[in-house]
Amino acid sequence: MRDPRLRPFRGALLAFLALMLVLLASGAVLFVRKLGLTPEGVRRFYLGAPEIFAPPRSALGLLEVAVPHLVAMPLAVFVTVHLVAMAGLVRRRAFSVLSSLTFAGVLVGIAAGFVIRFLWPGLAWLKIVAFLSVEGMVLFWLGLLAAMLLPARRGALDGGAPCPPEGGDRPGPEPIGDAACAHRAGGPGQGRRPAALRRPPAPRRPTSRPRDPGPPHRPG
Amino acid sequence: MRFLLAPSPEAVERSKPPVRVFLAFTLVLVAAAVANRALQSGLLPAQIESFYLGPGGSEPVGATALWEEVHAGAFLYGALWLMLGSLLAASPVQPRVRGALLAVGVGAALLDLFGPLLLVKAGAPAALRALGFLLASGALVFATAVAWVRYGRNGSRPNA
Repeated sequence: MRDPRLRPFRGALLAFLALMLVLLASGAVLFVRKLGLTPEGVRRFYLGAPEIFAPPRSALGLLEVAVPHLVAMPLAVFVTVHLVAMAGLVRRRAFSVLSSLTFAGVLVGIAAGFVIRFLWPGLAWLKIVAFLSVEGMVLFWLGLLAAMLLPARRGALDGGAPCPPEGGDRPGPEPIGDAACAHRAGGPGQGRRPAALRRPPAPRRPTSRPRDPGPPHRPG
Repeated sequence: MRFLLAPSPEAVERSKPPVRVFLAFTLVLVAAAVANRALQSGLLPAQIESFYLGPGGSEPVGATALWEEVHAGAFLYGALWLMLGSLLAASPVQPRVRGALLAVGVGAALLDLFGPLLLVKAGAPAALRALGFLLASGALVFATAVAWVRYGRNGSRPNA
């Protein structure tokens, strides 16, 4: 694993990952079965279809679906994103943008039903776009969560790609999370990097007394 | 989980009461789920078969309703096993016990979730659903009991 401290949590994370995949898959099946992937199908679902005696959705019916989704979806996204944040797999800015987009997609997807039914049926395409984007982005986060559970590359532990340099200016955008860099002494996890991976101490500058230059250097 | 990764003994002690309240709510939830299931589709294979297939298999429950059951149950089981698994990981519990408990719990949860679909669409025995629910509930209760007893002992060092 990228962070050895997460090893005891591997089972819990795998369980969460498996059941989130079931949640996503069943959500996709339900969307396709009930609404379909065309704006016409979405309009028929919300506005009703007289030819099949399907009544338009009532405000109460929409709320009965929206309320549990307003609890479950942000919670599921928050937990997934929070777990991924510990791995340091995504740069801070990308993490911020992608997680904001995921939450925005959830909100738009839930609100779109009300908008289509009561304000503007022409926005049926927005429901489909929001649904597909949320499914895609949650799959992306779950993929990162799965990557967290894979064995760590040596480079990741060796102060390579994800960890910013210690005590210096960062050359680029910093990664999110602290787990990948937690081996640093005094870091958030207060762990220590294995002795074999520790950097040698930096040479000290001369202070007040110049060091003995030693015997003169003889070329050749 | 950040807290559970590097808990200090003092923080673990502070977290014990809310953790135990959560565990008590989990037990109440399992009890309510068992009561709900008993009143709705029944707990015995014959009752389950009759509920999902109708009398004599004449009125099977629609596929959309079956998928809705999978959808709601997956969130519930996922959230519960993430929480319980994390608490067990932060407790001095043997990794083998923890792993077995999680494997049985999640496997049984999947059996419970997909049991009705398998019954209606593939003619699988209703006993699968009955067994899945029994094992899933039992694993949840057992994991809750283990977390209740073990969480906070020996400073709750994560046990790889």
